[in-house]
Amino acid sequence: MSAKHGSHRAHGTASRGTPASAYPEINYADALRQGLQQAMEASDRVLVIGQLVDYAPGVFGSTTGLVERFGPERVRDFPVSESAMTALGIGAAIAGMRPVLVHHRLDFMLYSVDAIVNWLSLWRFKSNGKSSAPVTIRAIVGRGWGQGPQHSKSLHAWFAHVPGIKVAMPATAFDAKGLLLESIFGEDPVIIIEHRSLFSLKDRVPEFLYRVRFGQAAVRRIGNDLTLVGVGAMVPFALRVAAQLAEHGIDAEVVDLRTIAPLDWKTVCGSVEKTGRLAVLDPTWASFGMAAEVIARVAELHGRSLRADPVRITHPDSHTPMSSALEAAYYPDQSSVVERLRSLVSAR
Amino acid sequence: MNMGVITHDAILRAGRYKSLSIANGETETAKSLYDFMLRLRLCEEALAREYHPADEMRCPVHFCVGQEAVPAALSLLLHEDDYLFSHHRSHGYYLAKHAPMQALFAELYGKQTGANGGLAGSQDISFPSRRFFSGAILAGATAISSGSALAIHLQKTKDVAVAGFGESATDEGIFWESVNYAALAKLPLVLVCENNNYSVFSPQLKRQLLDNISERVKSFGMASAAIFGNDAMLVHRTLRDAISRARAGQGPTFIEAYTYRWSGHYGPASDDLVGYRATEDLETWKRNCPIDLLEEALRANGLLADAEKGRLMQEFEAEIGECFRFAKSSPFPSAPDWTALNLAGETPEADRLLAEIDLREFDAQQESTQAKGY
Repeated sequence: MSAKHGSHRAHGTASRGTPASAYPEINYADALRQGLQQAMEASDRVLVIGQLVDYAPGVFGSTTGLVERFGPERVRDFPVSESAMTALGIGAAIAGMRPVLVHHRLDFMLYSVDAIVNWLSLWRFKSNGKSSAPVTIRAIVGRGWGQGPQHSKSLHAWFAHVPGIKVAMPATAFDAKGLLLESIFGEDPVIIIEHRSLFSLKDRVPEFLYRVRFGQAAVRRIGNDLTLVGVGAMVPFALRVAAQLAEHGIDAEVVDLRTIAPLDWKTVCGSVEKTGRLAVLDPTWASFGMAAEVIARVAELHGRSLRADPVRITHPDSHTPMSSALEAAYYPDQSSVVERLRSLVSAR
Repeated sequence: MNMGVITHDAILRAGRYKSLSIANGETETAKSLYDFMLRLRLCEEALAREYHPADEMRCPVHFCVGQEAVPAALSLLLHEDDYLFSHHRSHGYYLAKHAPMQALFAELYGKQTGANGGLAGSQDISFPSRRFFSGAILAGATAISSGSALAIHLQKTKDVAVAGFGESATDEGIFWESVNYAALAKLPLVLVCENNNYSVFSPQLKRQLLDNISERVKSFGMASAAIFGNDAMLVHRTLRDAISRARAGQGPTFIEAYTYRWSGHYGPASDDLVGYRATEDLETWKRNCPIDLLEEALRANGLLADAEKGRLMQEFEAEIGECFRFAKSSPFPSAPDWTALNLAGETPEADRLLAEIDLREFDAQQESTQAKGY
């Protein structure tokens, strides 16, 4: 391996202005796999580490085929030692590698909280900017089919709370690839939280290496009556809610945060200034979470311009049940959310 | 010295250590080890004298007086491109990587000219350009060093990664995870456990049923040795072989170097009033001072005389005085840009490799704006 990165260059700049429809439609898992493969082709410093990343199922299809192409040195199955795996990622990153660590479920990654919070997050800080650890951690959150309380936690707010870590929650295949590449080739540690329910969703995804920058929200639907802020799996949910609200004559704007650390306050506040109403859809518990942070910040900056009390759409403050009957009661229900938001808009 | 299986008890029973030897061809090594240890001892003693009551070094400092042999050996064996990770008792390791003493002092004083601009202090100090890092959370370094060793392995250089830690780190699960993986992946890694018997006050045998860490490591398939860690020559030979093996691609080695801390867990004052260790134990270990043991052998071999020692002490004391002047006269850092301290402002690799797409335009065309999914 040469001391320098590969000389591979993106040629995507030539495609500026090309309409999205010109690119193939692939699903979220394929977009992740394509991003990993192209990153590994572009730089021999990129390696993928995680349990079972080198078997055919390939972490729900997101690493399938990589070991055949790049070999077991760069696509490394790892013992069930998440703590050491994350710390090892730090050591590799500070020595010039760009490791991507993969967890089938975020819950298992919690063994590595010491490595993330005590070492990774502050590596750059305590070296006074002289050493950086560009570690990318992919963590998947499960839902449905009885995943229960140890396979379904989305603890994005924990990590966004800690300085020195970026947190991405891509909702589309396009963002999944673009944010993954931005993370791998950026200089900061990143945790990418991927919701399992998104893996089969399709999008137009350019075949070349492109970036989606952190702190740049996407307005997925334009509307004037109400701002729905969501991330990850709550983005398609918010879009379905907005479609139903439209049937009732309510025009909702849907803001997909894309990344929660950093968070694009400008887009959120701009939308709330316009609509005067805010509902934050957060795929986790309510207390001390991302939704609370968004509402707090909007209240600090635009509290007087709100025309209705802000709303959090979240899971109850309870662990996830297994039974499908209870799951149905646990996760936000589309029609009751629509009803709640209708009353928000009608209460003038 | 024949003490059978080496343990803290066996060392105390054996009393004064008598086995240090300087072999043919080791003359220069012996002198260099002595110089390093003497400089480190004088540095630590000077810092300890200044720590209280001046109270200008306002950070926890864990002095390494009595534990000079391992850093001394590493100072001769590690190259500039090797990685060294240290526990919180960091000063010896910092100097082992030939990082500048004045930046160490300035860091303890919280000054802008410190090794980390006053952000890290003694227990988190690093000197990245010399590939030296430390940290206060016990066992993290054992796994982080494995990662740097993996990078070395993948980059196919002849460098090596070394982690120094105390025996308390082996209480932690991550230590054993690291041992397992480093052995499995045959990483160019040397793990040096300075077994000083105490996790602050708590002795090893109060925390672990058996005092046989090196045996347990061996059972993972890693080369492993336990040695008397105050014999600087023995420490040097053992580390030299381990580092050579790592450079040659023959995999990792674990070394358990039995030693003893003279001062309290932190700060210059004794914490023996707590009653956690016997005064006689400390006295026995002081009779086994790594510097005295080597000095005795050097003198016996005609390699050191009073005049030479006096000259060394004068040189080191002058350097230390200069470091105090530098640290004290340096400015404090001013209030930083907090975001820039924690996150990189620039992304040169991403800029080079990734294409820009007009996201607003592209997003507006995406069919993902249509509701879907479950």
